[in-house]
Amino acid sequence: MPHSTSSRIHRHTLNARICHWVMALSFFYLLYSGVMIFLHFPELYWGKVGFQGYPAIFKLEDWGISWEQAERLGDRRWGRNYHYLFAWVFLINGMVYLLWNGWRRSFYQKMFPKLSELSLKNMKTELVTRLRFWNKKDLNYTGYNLIQKLIYLFILFILFPFMILSGVAQMPAFTAISPELIDLFGGRQTARTLHVVCSVLLVIFVVIHLAQVLMIGAVSQIRAMITGGYFVTQDGDKSQQ
Amino acid sequence: MKKSRFLNQVNPLTLSRRDMIKRVGALSGVLLTGCDNEFYKPPVIRGGLMGVADVLTMASQRSLMSNEQLVQEHDFREITKNFPVWNQSDPEDEEYQRLKINNYEDWVLPVTGMVNNPISVSLSDLKKMPRRAQTTMHICEQGWSAIAEWTGTPLLSVIQAAGGIKPEAKYVMINAYGGWYECYDMFDVAHPQTILAYGMNGKELPLGNGAPVRLRVERHCGYKQLKFIKSIEVVSSVEQYGRGTGGINSDFGFHWYAGA
Repeated sequence: MPHSTSSRIHRHTLNARICHWVMALSFFYLLYSGVMIFLHFPELYWGKVGFQGYPAIFKLEDWGISWEQAERLGDRRWGRNYHYLFAWVFLINGMVYLLWNGWRRSFYQKMFPKLSELSLKNMKTELVTRLRFWNKKDLNYTGYNLIQKLIYLFILFILFPFMILSGVAQMPAFTAISPELIDLFGGRQTARTLHVVCSVLLVIFVVIHLAQVLMIGAVSQIRAMITGGYFVTQDGDKSQQ
Repeated sequence: MKKSRFLNQVNPLTLSRRDMIKRVGALSGVLLTGCDNEFYKPPVIRGGLMGVADVLTMASQRSLMSNEQLVQEHDFREITKNFPVWNQSDPEDEEYQRLKINNYEDWVLPVTGMVNNPISVSLSDLKKMPRRAQTTMHICEQGWSAIAEWTGTPLLSVIQAAGGIKPEAKYVMINAYGGWYECYDMFDVAHPQTILAYGMNGKELPLGNGAPVRLRVERHCGYKQLKFIKSIEVVSSVEQYGRGTGGINSDFGFHWYAGA
């Protein structure tokens, strides 16, 4: 083994780590409780109205799970209670994250791509590099690469607000508070459908995210998200210490 | 059916309305301070984090609301054909079955409790009171929604016909045939679109949708829209009813505040 000096790299700030784990917990419960609610009404519709017998755009029945089977699997009383509880955890956590970071320049430097990064040529090379993600030589231990930045920004500032708003647009109180919001989505049932579609996108992200963590090294990656950093040897290989 | 759309005006409800505004005005100054403020929180708060979430949900939504805001009313062309029938569709209750045979001619609605002048209202009395028709969306907590036109008497008019509420009154408890019951705070009771509906889509309220009279409390989920109404009682606290949470749905672990 060649002699190598390892140095500790500080990767994740304290607030990012705390908010990450609170979000991970609330995401898990939001997803689980959301599925429990959905199973009690396993159809999706488009427009303002929709009910059993109305033309559906998605039926779980078509995927081999009958309405009765789905109903037995679901539990919307438990689901509703936990969905609301963790929606609040998620929302407050998100606000804490934004307030804690919003005034820091380092946050923008870390999360937002530089203009130079956004050239078409660079984006193409980045994409090709990132698709070879099993090549450890390409890993960047200090900051986020362009693709990471774009995906994180998309999730933070587009998908998350969309999830919150499409959730809110399903609430009867908002037929009085802001019917415009419901109309913006194209109706109550469309909001519900898009809420589900968006949650599927988030699940896909989480699956890829976890697969990457496993590929790069689950122990060091998870440790980094808890302690804030990891050790990198001179030649660029992560040490396992 | 067409005519009913021109009768949307609720009568000016000066006395009780002023009382309402005073009440709501006094409450609106406080938000989430844990003060005794029923405008922002359910009558009985669950323990632990669930209770915290319940109060956050209700307080945040209520802080965005005024009773002048009406829920969205839809065009009559958007009325749903085959409006779903959910939960009980024909109460087995003996008394109810007797009333049904006689086409509800003997149905009377007692309005009792903390009102100044308890009364009993027959179906024909109810139809002579101020009338309101509204085409609104019914949103079930399960996930479905459908649109119908409802015709009925504002709940506030009925409470006023009973002489208005006493100062210590806080909730209106509505009982239904088949054992269902729910209570509502005065903010929802005073809302112009909160009606005791006896008509649906220009016809008599059908059996499955709660004949002869059901409640429309538009800013809430379907499970708060009680069908088969039996009696109304104005109360100052809810603990002595059912399991003591202020409604059959919250008794079984659903949210008391169903603005969602």
